[in-house]
Amino acid sequence: MKRPLIWILISILLLPLVVRPAIASEIWIFAIFGLGANLLLGYSGLLSFGQSTFFGSAAYVAGWLMKIHGVNAFLALGIGVGVGAASAAVVGYLCVQRSGLYFIMLTFALNQLFYFTAYQWTSVTGGEDGMPGVPRPEFPGIDFKDPVVYYALVSFLFLISLFLMRKIVESPLGRILQAIRENEVRAEAVGYNVPRFKLLAFVIGGAFSGLAGVLYAMLFGIVPLEAISFVFSGNVVFATLIGGSGSLYGPVIGSFVFIWLSESMSTVWARWPLLLGVAFVLVVLFLRGGVVEAWHKLFLRFSKR
Amino acid sequence: MSLLETRSITKSFGALTAVNGVSLAIEAGSLHSIIGPNGAGKTTLFNLLTGTFPPTSGRIIFDQMEITGTPASRIAHLGLARSYQRTTVFPAFSLFDNVWVSSFSRSKRSGLAWRNANTYPEVAERANQALRDVGLENKSKQLAREISHGEQRQLELAIALAAAPRVLLLDEPAAGLSPEETRKMVALVRALKGRYTIVLIEHKMDIIMSVSDRISVMHFGSLIAEGTPAEIQKNPEVRRAYLGGVAV
Repeated sequence: MKRPLIWILISILLLPLVVRPAIASEIWIFAIFGLGANLLLGYSGLLSFGQSTFFGSAAYVAGWLMKIHGVNAFLALGIGVGVGAASAAVVGYLCVQRSGLYFIMLTFALNQLFYFTAYQWTSVTGGEDGMPGVPRPEFPGIDFKDPVVYYALVSFLFLISLFLMRKIVESPLGRILQAIRENEVRAEAVGYNVPRFKLLAFVIGGAFSGLAGVLYAMLFGIVPLEAISFVFSGNVVFATLIGGSGSLYGPVIGSFVFIWLSESMSTVWARWPLLLGVAFVLVVLFLRGGVVEAWHKLFLRFSKR
Repeated sequence: MSLLETRSITKSFGALTAVNGVSLAIEAGSLHSIIGPNGAGKTTLFNLLTGTFPPTSGRIIFDQMEITGTPASRIAHLGLARSYQRTTVFPAFSLFDNVWVSSFSRSKRSGLAWRNANTYPEVAERANQALRDVGLENKSKQLAREISHGEQRQLELAIALAAAPRVLLLDEPAAGLSPEETRKMVALVRALKGRYTIVLIEHKMDIIMSVSDRISVMHFGSLIAEGTPAEIQKNPEVRRAYLGGVAV
């Protein structure tokens, strides 16, 4: 269990040397987003296409508070976590009443509702142009405008997120959510109020999404409309599946692959999402456990020799 | 004194009345079987008792408390645990985790989201005991989907046991078992007798007759007879129902 952590620490140190700090930051921010999404997708077996609702809502609210009301950026990060959790509580409450396809469509539909609200409400969100002017934290003696310093902050918050999520998935809650994924009927029969536990997964996942959303807005100084769109919802599901939804580290690896691929390929080749499509098909057909499973298989093969 | 009681409960699905005015009284500490041909409404009766859905009319009383309409997740906490006719386990979980989830449900949920799941000794002990009770303690690390059907039926029972129930509702524990496995299961049920109040649904007559204290016979949703195994064997109406005739 210690080994993945060492790899992550090494990656955090080396990443800014390989790619621009902004991209490196984006990778860990997306990983926080993925950790939250995977509590639903991987652990609870709930395919939510509405994760950007919480990501975007938190980014807008925190961004607006900082910009217009001069709220302290650290406080805004906390508020973002709260907004993510609260919006997830509302959306989750409605969605957990249904299961299967209806659940998925509900998460998607509610996401669209938030998206079009943001799209129309131009006086606050800026509509299609996004909400520019989101500041970064300020602290005497530390310049967060320096991309490397901001990267350090993001990495620190990512490590805290990873630590917390690990605590959660190794707790009884983690096991109960997996039991619900395995057999909802039996989980209910042995005494768990299944909708309430699903809602709890939503709220926790939403809190992580909220943190990621605010960090994202601070990174680029803007809340783009896409931050609350279904594209973002899809991306995080995509990244998680590619990395491996079955494990804690899957979404971390997934976001690494996803962001790195999208940032490096998009400048070279406009049709780069094709590559993602291929990766996705390969994962679905041959490697349900994603990169994590592939790595294990490879490792097993080499250790046998 | 009866521990579990139904007072003329009825369940209708549209035009179909699956359970029709059934009044049952299960004595504390007894093994009470419910038999009847396929489609007699036995499993529906279990679903009513465990809160899977509420009855259309009638009442359910457990330990002198009305539990009619209590949802399934609450019922388990009152001490009613069930097993399923079709194996209903957690396939990707180890056998230990299967029973652990059931065991934890009945414990205090302190530290739900932050305490490590492996630091609840009393929960783990009850889980291990349930596995020992059904004879699966040696396979606790194996995955539920990788064991045989017979063992899955045992696990099915262990999950119910781990919930520390007062009443065990067993829905055809021997469904799909070979004669050898069936013998094992009968021995198991017999060993549990006395420790729990047991309500048993079964098709295999030899099992029923050898383990039951009382038997209730259902046919087309209604109770047509109740008595000791000897009384039931002699009952002409029961014979008619089982030989394919229609009870009039």
